[in-house]
Amino acid sequence: MMPDMNQVGGAPQAWQPQEKVPTVMLDHVSKWYGNIVGLNDVSIAISGGVTGLLGANGAGKSTFFKLLAGKLKPSQGTIRLFGTDPWKNSSPYSRIGYVSENEELYDWMTAIDFVATLARLHGYTREEALVKAKNVLEFVDLADVAHKELGKFSKGMRQRVKIAHALVNDPELIILDEPLQGCDPLARTTIMNVIRELGAMGRTIIVSSHILQEIERITEQIVILNNGRLLALGNVHAIREMLDAHPHKISLTTNQPRELAKKFIEHDDVFGVTLPTDSNLIVQTHNLGAVHQDLPQIILDSGCMVTAIDNPDDNLESILGYLTGGQ
Amino acid sequence: MSAKDRPLVDTVYSKLDRKATAIFEFTMRQYRTRLSTWATLGVGALILMIVMLFYIEGMTETIEAVDNDGDSFDSDNDGYVDGQELLLGTAINNPDDHPGLLNPPVPPDPPEKWINEDDFDVKSIGNSASYGNDDDGDCQVRVGQVGFDDYTDDNNNGIDCDIKIRESFNRYIIDKDPNVDEDPDEDAYYKETVHRGFILGFGKIGFVFVLGIFLPLFLATGLIRDEMSGGTLHYIVAKPISRAEVLTYRLLGYIGLTWPYFAVLTIISAIITGLMGPGEGFFRFADLFLWFGIFIATILLSTAYAAIFMTMGVIHKYGMIGAIVFGVWEFSMAITSVFSPETTVTQLSLARWGMIIVDGFATITWPDSQLLVALGQSVTVTNWDFGFSYESSLEGADILEGFAHKTPLTGDPIIDILISCTLLFTITVLTIVIGQSIFKGKEID
Amino acid sequence: MTDNNELDGDETPPAPQQIIPHSNGQSENQDAHAQPSETLGRDAEFMGESGIGVGGQTRMEVAFGAASDDEVIGTASVAGGTKDAQMGAIFEQVYRPWRGTLNPRWARNWAIFRHHIYGLFSKGHRPWGWPTRLLLFGAILAAMSDVGLSFLGAMLGDETLYRLFGVSRDNLYGHVLGFFPRNAICFPLIAALIIGGMISDDRTNGTSAIYFSRPINRIDYTAMKYATVATILSILILGTLSIYYLANILFLGEGWAYLLDTLPLFLAAAFAGLLLVITYSSIGLALSSVSRGRFFPAISLLGLFLGTKLLAFLIYQLFDQSILYLLSPYDSIAHVGQVIIGTTSTYDHPWSWSLVSIIIMNVISLYVLANRVSTMEVTRE
Repeated sequence: MMPDMNQVGGAPQAWQPQEKVPTVMLDHVSKWYGNIVGLNDVSIAISGGVTGLLGANGAGKSTFFKLLAGKLKPSQGTIRLFGTDPWKNSSPYSRIGYVSENEELYDWMTAIDFVATLARLHGYTREEALVKAKNVLEFVDLADVAHKELGKFSKGMRQRVKIAHALVNDPELIILDEPLQGCDPLARTTIMNVIRELGAMGRTIIVSSHILQEIERITEQIVILNNGRLLALGNVHAIREMLDAHPHKISLTTNQPRELAKKFIEHDDVFGVTLPTDSNLIVQTHNLGAVHQDLPQIILDSGCMVTAIDNPDDNLESILGYLTGGQ
Repeated sequence: MSAKDRPLVDTVYSKLDRKATAIFEFTMRQYRTRLSTWATLGVGALILMIVMLFYIEGMTETIEAVDNDGDSFDSDNDGYVDGQELLLGTAINNPDDHPGLLNPPVPPDPPEKWINEDDFDVKSIGNSASYGNDDDGDCQVRVGQVGFDDYTDDNNNGIDCDIKIRESFNRYIIDKDPNVDEDPDEDAYYKETVHRGFILGFGKIGFVFVLGIFLPLFLATGLIRDEMSGGTLHYIVAKPISRAEVLTYRLLGYIGLTWPYFAVLTIISAIITGLMGPGEGFFRFADLFLWFGIFIATILLSTAYAAIFMTMGVIHKYGMIGAIVFGVWEFSMAITSVFSPETTVTQLSLARWGMIIVDGFATITWPDSQLLVALGQSVTVTNWDFGFSYESSLEGADILEGFAHKTPLTGDPIIDILISCTLLFTITVLTIVIGQSIFKGKEID
Repeated sequence: MTDNNELDGDETPPAPQQIIPHSNGQSENQDAHAQPSETLGRDAEFMGESGIGVGGQTRMEVAFGAASDDEVIGTASVAGGTKDAQMGAIFEQVYRPWRGTLNPRWARNWAIFRHHIYGLFSKGHRPWGWPTRLLLFGAILAAMSDVGLSFLGAMLGDETLYRLFGVSRDNLYGHVLGFFPRNAICFPLIAALIIGGMISDDRTNGTSAIYFSRPINRIDYTAMKYATVATILSILILGTLSIYYLANILFLGEGWAYLLDTLPLFLAAAFAGLLLVITYSSIGLALSSVSRGRFFPAISLLGLFLGTKLLAFLIYQLFDQSILYLLSPYDSIAHVGQVIIGTTSTYDHPWSWSLVSIIIMNVISLYVLANRVSTMEVTRE
């Protein structure tokens, strides 16, 4: 209750680096909202490097991050950031940067104001905060629009401002909740570069996404969450290999499935065609890219009328399903 | 540069000029960018202007002087008004007996001289039992006259031609000897009482209640709740600052906006009423003390409300509805305590304690308000309205009676002010502490 | 709170988008892309129904398997003139127009209205917070206190009690327009809670888009919002008045003569109540339409009703000027109500001024409301 008269953020001893403890440590952590389970008995320790957190919508990624950032209280288990409980103590916050999934910003503030004001909450003086904010905006490539109001920013710029505010205290741990969501390819590339660069600088970074390809471009170390459970963690290549061994499916809706099936079976990469209904056709392949490339030509050659093309496979759910051995 | 080797400057200012001022400034700037802030403050100022217009009009119009004792009338048409004849001992109903026949002859007075000729002479309430002064001498003239022994000391206090004031059930009772202070100056009385009634009524209703509750409702309820529902609270609570501090500094931001605003409005009102109010000097300096009291009551009450509304917003998303219901409750309690502060149920409201502060300051500034009411009520005025006559007390007495009250706690204004201030302050602090602990345990989605 | 279960079941949703391969050769595709307008204007025939063909750009994400739905990478366009069209052939999308019959306008409006009203009682409609529902219920009970008291008087056979609470000019006036506690606490509070998010919620959440992407226009939308607020307030004010009157007539054994005597009074009180309902709804919705939060309009409404009343009262007490009462919606209606019900007027200025004031208030409010709704963005603000 007492105001922190020191205004430097927490007790002084919290500033001593505790070398032995992992940066992030979760021990049998569960979190449920009423009857809904957000996170189910997750134990993990992360130290150093860039870690990708992969999971479908509702898999518990945001819950995981909110627990780390001390926004939520775990229903069970213990969480430690640098050896300290983030729910009870705000001192670890001075060593982390948290980018929430929330898209709201203070639209009336300029970028530099926003970052500098939040920097002052780390205990910097007015001048220090301004310098820091300038540097960090330069780092995320927003220096030229630093004095523009946030309300006029595009989605990609907004994401970068959010990253900038999290970097302003030079954090050891950076948590990025869906930083690529809703960005165009150019903004994606910029943000990915920023994340990679941070990783190269030796920070511990945890970044979440529901798109495997995105995560792949950033890091090799991934954690997969599904239905609140920790499903897999490890090198992305290992997981990729498992995926490639798994046959892909393409579903076509057409009025002449049999004609089309004949055409497809001639293709080198197709190893199976099934006809589940009268108007449906499922093509099985190990090489999704090659088949997709030839797909329009095959359809045109066949002269069949195709009303829908779908990849029942190529979403995270089915990858996860495959990993869990369900399919 | 990592946090641990950052140089720490040791002055108190630079320490506070980090988190506290960051949130304080942020809150102020946030207010500045919102249209609703300006709308709220503008409406407050507009109300002040409208009400002040009515006050200025009331102060500039003159109340027609009434001859309350009827002695400016010349009953016998001999050119001498009754008052003058009575004073000089000639018969008022005999045209052949008038002061012009005396030796030396006395010229007739103009009738205006016998209107408002015997005003109140009460300067302050002391321990003396005798007040009043028979300015026109129409009581004194009968002292010693045969048959008038009881007449000149009607109130039986052994002093001829005076006024006896006694207190009964917290009210003053005036026992007058006849023809003493019987024809007061209506205009002066009306202006004095309405001036006091206005400052009290507007201070209590306009400042302490309306501004005191609506500003917090508009400006303080969303301090935390809006950030929570908008999702922007994430940015602040992810920083190494305790949530308790966030709450406190947000409230400080509210104080930084509203206290100067209240101060400006109070000063404007004090200047207008000081210049326009009745009195000998060009400015009523004594009233400034009461305006100061109104300011104190307003800021204490509005801050207490702000803390309560903010905490309601922290507790639950329906806290807003709680704030509205609480506001309506306070509204009815505030009206009740303005007009009958003794009502027990008002003790359950905050508004009442603000009113007590104003009443306390008013009692110190104008100790004679109650007496003024009693004096006004002791004069009977006959009014004519649509051809019907009805009797009333002096105009203005009922107004002041409605708004001026003694403090209902101990009766000692200073003690009552201190009690009320302490209570409001304690409630504010207590609410903040409760809000802080709730906020700390709040999960933010 | 989102209004996303609008118009439940009143219309068949439009048919899903269909994709068929272009029936022509590849060379023409490139031409078609060079002049997309040509393709756009051409009718396409699909499954016996004609539609508008959309050519040029094609969403390729189905083929390339981007999993995210907000992905725009997949949008590929074939550069005009190049032979390198290996990325894929142009697909033509045919939108099959919806061929169902649209319900009449009243039925669509009824759906909006029903959505709001049913929400008071059950889930699956407009969500009203439980405090609002609880307070509304409490307020209706409180507004019927005079029914209970007159019953009590009749039961006990207590003549004084019955006279005090039975149907009379003053009691009918008091039921609708009495200041304390009805118009000081009960009615404004409920009005504030009801109008709070009525339009502003749609602005904040972007749910106005759900309305305006349906076959209803903004007048329907505004009118039904108005009808909702007016209905709820009518239940509270006029409904309880009717119950009070009918209870006295039917159950307390009053005769025809009594009915004839009091019916005009009842109608006058009902008319005054209607004025109250209309004015509260207009002002409330206008405030709700200018705001984005649900709290601001509620507080503004209370501030307007109670603040003007208080200040006018203060000025009347101090300076004996009743003119400021014209600013107070409640007092203006009360003044007109006093005249039409025939109780003693407590105001000094002519009642026609109050009537004009009510009209001006309503006109300004409706103008603001219409203006704000017609310029309302259909996106989330």
